[in-house]
Amino acid sequence: MAVLNRMDWYDLARSTNWTPTYVTEDELFPPQLAGAFGLPQNAWEKYDEPYKQTYPEYVKVQRDKDAGAYSVKAALERSRIFENADPGWKSVMKAHYGAIARGEYAAASAEARMMRFSKAPGMRNMSTLGCLDEIRHGQMQLYFPHEHVSKDRQMDWAFKAYDTNDWAMIAARHFFDDIMMTRDAISVSIMLTFSFETGFTNMQFLGLAADAAEAGDHTFANLISSIQTDESRHAQIGGPALKILIENGQKAEAQKRVDIAVWGAWKLFSVLTGPIMDYYTPLEHRKQSFKEFMEEWIVAQFERALTDMGLELPWYWDIFLKDLSETHHGMHLGSYFWRPTVWWNPAAGVTPAERDWLEEKYPGWNDTWGQCWDVIIDNVVDGNMAMAYPETLPYVCNMCQLPILGTPGKGWNVKDYPLEYKGRLYHFGSEVDRWVFEQEPERYAGHLSIVDRFLAGMIQPMNLEGALAYMNIAPGEMGDDAHNYAWAEVYRALRETRKAG
Amino acid sequence: MSTASSAQAYHNNMVGPVMRAGDLALAVIEAARIDNPGKEVFVEDKRAYIRIHTEHEMILRRETIEEELGRPFRMNDLEVDLSSFAGQIESLDGAVRFYFAKKL
Repeated sequence: MAVLNRMDWYDLARSTNWTPTYVTEDELFPPQLAGAFGLPQNAWEKYDEPYKQTYPEYVKVQRDKDAGAYSVKAALERSRIFENADPGWKSVMKAHYGAIARGEYAAASAEARMMRFSKAPGMRNMSTLGCLDEIRHGQMQLYFPHEHVSKDRQMDWAFKAYDTNDWAMIAARHFFDDIMMTRDAISVSIMLTFSFETGFTNMQFLGLAADAAEAGDHTFANLISSIQTDESRHAQIGGPALKILIENGQKAEAQKRVDIAVWGAWKLFSVLTGPIMDYYTPLEHRKQSFKEFMEEWIVAQFERALTDMGLELPWYWDIFLKDLSETHHGMHLGSYFWRPTVWWNPAAGVTPAERDWLEEKYPGWNDTWGQCWDVIIDNVVDGNMAMAYPETLPYVCNMCQLPILGTPGKGWNVKDYPLEYKGRLYHFGSEVDRWVFEQEPERYAGHLSIVDRFLAGMIQPMNLEGALAYMNIAPGEMGDDAHNYAWAEVYRALRETRKAG
Repeated sequence: MSTASSAQAYHNNMVGPVMRAGDLALAVIEAARIDNPGKEVFVEDKRAYIRIHTEHEMILRRETIEEELGRPFRMNDLEVDLSSFAGQIESLDGAVRFYFAKKL
């Protein structure tokens, strides 16, 4: 039997809009969920998805992908990769799974909102597949780490993290709630699929896969790069929506959503991806620096795509480009110092050889972050461990929920960006975080940061022990130095040499 | 190097797939050469992924990839290893096209 070419029937098959007669269009597509931007159904019927896929094709391709990912896992399961991995690399896996696995399930419901409420039939088709993708990502990224739970209790956070009040998860939820859980279908397509997935997911799922392959963890490299093949398809859901908004005089609204989502994504990646690429991944396995991966994926590839769509660069692009060399060093310093509050064991990553690498990739590192590390190193070498742990909480930003930080030492630029709104004083880590708040203050005003909660007496007793209990960190899960401070030996030896000399 | 010039250095018109390493990626590299005559094909191997790029526009045809692979291939099978891509994408019958609407 002759089979029609797909393109001969695709448009007809997925043109599933009709004129409602029993209900109004607003009842069929409630504006708050549909996000019509004042445009009627027929304007959205022009939506033309560039990356086309039908359900039978989807099933076949996904089956092939799963066969590949699961067979690599099965083949390598007995090779003791986890047991033999550098402790820094184990921390990469723990941070990744905890921060991401359950967020993928959440993303399935965001895709489902586009699937039901978008007025664009093409978007509904592609997000049906996108929803199934996200369920796949959730399942795989819970199944793959599960074999390690019996060996290492922190691996349990792959499942547990998303339900806790750990500061890193409060930050992650605040961001994902903002861009995908509490937005209309069209805004989800712009903020989640275009702004977040077209650019940033490449960092965590391909950039990190390159490091994983160098580190010999082919199960992980294969898993996350396979996930990214789904992303590269459903990330295309937002592009045609942007084109329709621009054509219909809604460019400013579209641009604002892109600017908000890109900034939030950047802050989250500066704390999650930056430290694992530049400090946790063993030096000899680092394919590129975090900044070089950001330049490859975000500056070269994503920025180019953004302007090709007819959008402008976000107004803060110069600030962003400058922060590429700075923010994640502060985030690493903070998450290392506050290591009891994370579910992985941060690797310090500051041996003399690693410092040389950092200085080469980030000229001036030793005169800035290096000065703070000198103090930590001295305390560790002196056995003055009480000084190498925190006693209080850091101050966090009321937008990104991450520590307010800047460049220390000779590059000192630490600054708070405050704002008073309806009698409450808010603190932000940057001009951009404050700008995001100002775009829609009522959306964010009621949220309490972890420090606000502490000051409100919601965390008891008001000390580290109380904070750990509030963050659901059970004994045996609390983070500590990945290498049990073995790296300090080289500094101890250097000091002995100097004394002898 | 100032941040502005470092960003400028990355501005280009390169389009094309970013493939997971494997036999499909190798077939795509060959197909990119055959289906885009007169264009230089840039291949950057990052071990876990391979960037396969040409200037401004790239066409990949189903028959060419099938020929290079030596086994039946449907255009949508590309997705199995298509992790990412530079430029915009267009799905055609029996081909896929990567392009930029604007030239820098």
